[in-house]
Amino acid sequence: MKLSKFDILFGLCLAFIGLLLPFSNPRETLIQLITLAAIWSIFAIGFDFVFGSLGMISFGHATFLGVGGYALSLATQKYGLPFMAGVGLAIFLGAVFALLFSFFALRVSGIFFALVTLALSQLVFILADSKLRSFTGGSDGILGVERPSLLGIDFFDPINFYWFVLAIYTLVMLAVISLRSSPFGRVIAAIRNNEIRADQLGFNVNRYKQITFVISGALSGLAGALLASLLMYMNPQMLHWTTSGDVIIMTLLGGSGTLWGATVGVIAFEFLKEWLSSWTEYWYGVLGMIFILVTIFVPRGIVGELERMYSTRQKRLDLRQRRAK
Amino acid sequence: MSTIVIGLSLGMLLFLLAAGLTLIFGMLGVINFAHGAIYMLGAYVSFEVGKQTGSFLMGVIAAITITGVLGAAVEKLSLRPLYERPHFYQLILTFGLILVLSDVVRYIWGSGYQEVSIPPLWNGTVDMLGSTIPVYRLFVIGLGVVVSTLLYLFLEKSTFGMLVRAASSDAEMVRILGLPVGTIRMAVFSIGCALSGLAGAIAAPLFPVELGMATNTIIDCFIVVILGGLGNIRGAIAASLMVGMVRALGYVYMPSWVDILTFSLLILTLLTRPQGLFFRAARSA
Repeated sequence: MKLSKFDILFGLCLAFIGLLLPFSNPRETLIQLITLAAIWSIFAIGFDFVFGSLGMISFGHATFLGVGGYALSLATQKYGLPFMAGVGLAIFLGAVFALLFSFFALRVSGIFFALVTLALSQLVFILADSKLRSFTGGSDGILGVERPSLLGIDFFDPINFYWFVLAIYTLVMLAVISLRSSPFGRVIAAIRNNEIRADQLGFNVNRYKQITFVISGALSGLAGALLASLLMYMNPQMLHWTTSGDVIIMTLLGGSGTLWGATVGVIAFEFLKEWLSSWTEYWYGVLGMIFILVTIFVPRGIVGELERMYSTRQKRLDLRQRRAK
Repeated sequence: MSTIVIGLSLGMLLFLLAAGLTLIFGMLGVINFAHGAIYMLGAYVSFEVGKQTGSFLMGVIAAITITGVLGAAVEKLSLRPLYERPHFYQLILTFGLILVLSDVVRYIWGSGYQEVSIPPLWNGTVDMLGSTIPVYRLFVIGLGVVVSTLLYLFLEKSTFGMLVRAASSDAEMVRILGLPVGTIRMAVFSIGCALSGLAGAIAAPLFPVELGMATNTIIDCFIVVILGGLGNIRGAIAASLMVGMVRALGYVYMPSWVDILTFSLLILTLLTRPQGLFFRAARSA
């Protein structure tokens, strides 16, 4: 897929906001919120890499996020590894777990794919929560997860940490854009359009799905490490299957399968959450209601709907120009 | 002996839950993630009505009615527009429903535990083969047997059951014959939810009534339904009894491995026999 004009315009808008934000003298909570959204965006982009581009719905992504979080927390705290090595380990283990899951889950399709990934990820949750308590700290979690220490910059300062996360987010976005337009991305799109045709053309469909899933797991692992670092706390709740549900809500809210949908969905989710929770403690229920309405009436999501409006407007302008000639 | 009774009663409860879930899947092709939330709602309703009226039976009836009506409303208002879309939309919609139901329950009853006492009529123990058995457990087993028999007769022998089976194998044809497929689907969803509400009401005296029921129970349900084969009611009976027994025995002999064993069994089944352990060819509903 080539970048459309819409994608570029939208990206420039987001970049503009993202770059100017720290200079607008924002409140600390706002910076924290945007940092959180950027991290969740990396997770949602990773999730949508499987869901949006292949149409496979995974209920196991909480595992990859959680494994990433634990990898960083344990590597830096228990084994004294430097922060970046911990992040590397998180990415690596996210990919390894995705690979393990794919051996099981890719043998089935449709709704069974969702159920197998759900079962596997609950198994990991139970292991981390009870069986491996001595290693993971059980439900008490791990306190005081590291922040990065690079070039002598103080990353406990929210704005500096924001820059760090924004840089990583930009790298992830660039990687995803180039992957989408690469030959690999074209094959994935072909599989999504017609799996049997892609197979008949001689592509190893299962291998391509597996690679997609592993990349998705690696991105989720990265997001997990950053999330643990932002919160400076890690607990098994990140591994619970409802976390997978959250990321699905975010992705659909923004518009699955679009370039910026995951990011916009996360931002919408986080701001709705902030706003709703300021006037009711039952924000999660209200959010659920909004989500149900979105599923029924706006299945394309926010970005999908904007994209459609943009393209119909473009077509109308085209038509008018041609008539004028 | 008492372990066996506990296992059987647990199995029967699981069956009440799984029957609804598997019925809905067999008929509508929808995996209802909110099934556990409806079970929770059933338990809370029976707690509240039981407390107000002082009658356990009234609580059970209220739980069935409210969850049944809720099921019908959910089907009509939210699922019906989605049948033409890819499967995952329905899956995701019912996930949203969990969030809504959980917070509605939290709004009404708060987030603490609630206790329901065993109704006096069934409160007691009997001696069987040298061990003491709570009567209520026997009642649950009996009820499970009755409900499963009724469900079987309903689906296999009644005209409406025939319609349900016909609509699940070829909805388009049934529609062309001039029968209201939409209403049949709504009724099935409603019955499935009412079964879950019944399970919640029956389970209320056995377990603490709490919010965690919504997300924990659904996983148990999935295990049973997958082991039994999605959409296969007979399979669900066998699978729920099996899981019930494994749970009961496991808690006695190796408590910390129960969950891990059940999940491993589940994953193994999904991989080797995705159609379920008790699958017989050309048989659905």
